[in-house]
Amino acid sequence: MGHFVTSANIPVDGEKLTHPLVKTLKLVSAAVAVIGLGVGAFIWFGQEDEVVKGSYTYSYLFGFTFFLTLAIGGCFWTLLHNVSNSGWGTSVRRIFENLGFVFPFMFILMIPFFFPDFQKYLWEWLTIFNDVTAAEGVSRYAGTLTLFGAEVPHGGFYGTVGNSELHYGLMDKHEAILDTKSWYMNPVAWYIRAVFYFASLGFVIWHMRNLSVKQDTDPNPGVKNLFTARAHASWGLPIFGVALTFWAFDFVMALDYKWFSTMWGVYFFAGCAMSSMALIILTVITLRRLGYLKHVVSTEHFHLMGKLNFAFVVFWAYITFSQFFLYWYANVTEETSYYLLRNTEGWNIVSICLVFGHFALPMLGLIRQDVKKNMTYMTVMTIYLLTIHMVDVYHMIIPERAPSLSLILGLGDIQLWFGEFKSWGCDILGFITIGAAFVFFYLNNLTSVALYPHRDPRILESANVHN
Amino acid sequence: MSKSVKKVYGYLAEIETPSKLWKACEKCRDAGFKKWDAFSSFPVHGLDKAMGLKKSILPYLVFFGGLTGITTGFLLAYITQVQIYPTVVQAKPANIFTVAAFFPIMFELTILLSGFTTLFGLLGLMGLPRLNHPLFASKQFKRVTDDGLYIAIEARDPKFSPEATKAFLEEIGGYNIELVEDDE
Repeated sequence: MGHFVTSANIPVDGEKLTHPLVKTLKLVSAAVAVIGLGVGAFIWFGQEDEVVKGSYTYSYLFGFTFFLTLAIGGCFWTLLHNVSNSGWGTSVRRIFENLGFVFPFMFILMIPFFFPDFQKYLWEWLTIFNDVTAAEGVSRYAGTLTLFGAEVPHGGFYGTVGNSELHYGLMDKHEAILDTKSWYMNPVAWYIRAVFYFASLGFVIWHMRNLSVKQDTDPNPGVKNLFTARAHASWGLPIFGVALTFWAFDFVMALDYKWFSTMWGVYFFAGCAMSSMALIILTVITLRRLGYLKHVVSTEHFHLMGKLNFAFVVFWAYITFSQFFLYWYANVTEETSYYLLRNTEGWNIVSICLVFGHFALPMLGLIRQDVKKNMTYMTVMTIYLLTIHMVDVYHMIIPERAPSLSLILGLGDIQLWFGEFKSWGCDILGFITIGAAFVFFYLNNLTSVALYPHRDPRILESANVHN
Repeated sequence: MSKSVKKVYGYLAEIETPSKLWKACEKCRDAGFKKWDAFSSFPVHGLDKAMGLKKSILPYLVFFGGLTGITTGFLLAYITQVQIYPTVVQAKPANIFTVAAFFPIMFELTILLSGFTTLFGLLGLMGLPRLNHPLFASKQFKRVTDDGLYIAIEARDPKFSPEATKAFLEEIGGYNIELVEDDE
């Protein structure tokens, strides 16, 4: 038993992250992000090779999705900590909040996806919609805008194809699946949703963080903000669930619009929760190495966070396997397509790697109690978990690239498999660009406020937590 | 009083509060006693450390229980479904890559055997079930399931002595100290 932490150990004005190394890293990451975006802009606008343009668009989505999962996970842990009325994590809660608050800023990086020039590489259904509306001579946003007006072949609500030209145009192209799904998958609804995800969950996490930050400067700190945060997290969580699930549907699952999985949102969430907890542990370890959080974070916190990380390693495996098992062995054509692509040829190696690397190895590696409290070990483990989660996101998005692009660009033979420079070169660029921007936003959040809520009524309870 | 020699179990001392129990346990641990125990009707956090208890070997037993389960599950499915009677379902191959189809049975048997090892290993390590315990001879010890907190030092302990141990228990805050003897 260490010594008991009392209010004498908590600085009155809180602990601020002012380490010179962090400032340097912030500048470097900003510079790298700007250079990366510049190179990306050159690929998109400065050269003519459509294959590289398309390839980089996939890489950009891959990088974006990976870092978005981390930010969304931060939102989840903040909301969960508040809604469950937890006391253990008050001393690390600000890290959750700061990680979650990267989420609204990610919207800036999402802007390229709003332009048809980039959409055409990723989401075929949007292209089909555009082609049909152009051929039929109706607006791209037809159907949705005449919702309450003209005839509605299918009946229904919210963005139903209320336009017979669009309906027959899609049927003429043998796109009956898209026609049936068009009440959900139409450009107007897509744009509204894309903005809604960031506006709603962005507001929730801003609000949560704001309540917590206000407490820091409150001259009469009480329980008001804490109780408000708990009450507001209860409606924040459904928004979180909807935003995460449908973002994953619209941006990742829709890469193959014929394919669908009701497990997709949960699968995506499992990855979010696992990887973000790994990043949170890594951040706390690094901050302690730099000399911060010394009084309020003990090995007990590492044990608790390690347990959550372990739990989500297992949860991820459970969900991922369930999705695979039901779809692969049920063998229904439109359901199996996702795994048909990923369980054949080279991608099968990645799939098998995920079974061992994303489940078996970290499960055995995190099962012991003492290793979760060992900071050197956990540094290696969390970096490993983030890497393997990157492979998981890669496995979600990139297998779609070679067949889709080859079809869209009419390349004949399928190109752009894993080993080509046009593939992995772009992937590295996309990953580093978004990663640098993410690091900048994250560090900016971390340095702008105190590192832990020093006036929270539960800070001493958390500092002395024992489990 | 009969003339037969009764077997002495050890000293039983009541302790007033959980925090005193905690401190008394630390002193017992530091005094070097080995055969002793603390009794409470509710969990006292950190008492295991104060008593100087070593970590249980149960996790290792459970690990090997689980390993047996996963191996049994794999062999059971693999030998019957791939080796002896290859079952071809929807043109999926019957070979080592079929193992994904066996995950549910491997998972279930891992859980089952881990669960059994946990339960029976725990009972075995605790020496349960048993018919009686020498401390039940003490009348005051009945309160242990209600509001009593106790420390008992066994006579089997190499450091046990009839006078010094009693004095020691008094010193660490024990009262109602009683020499517990086996029932006839």
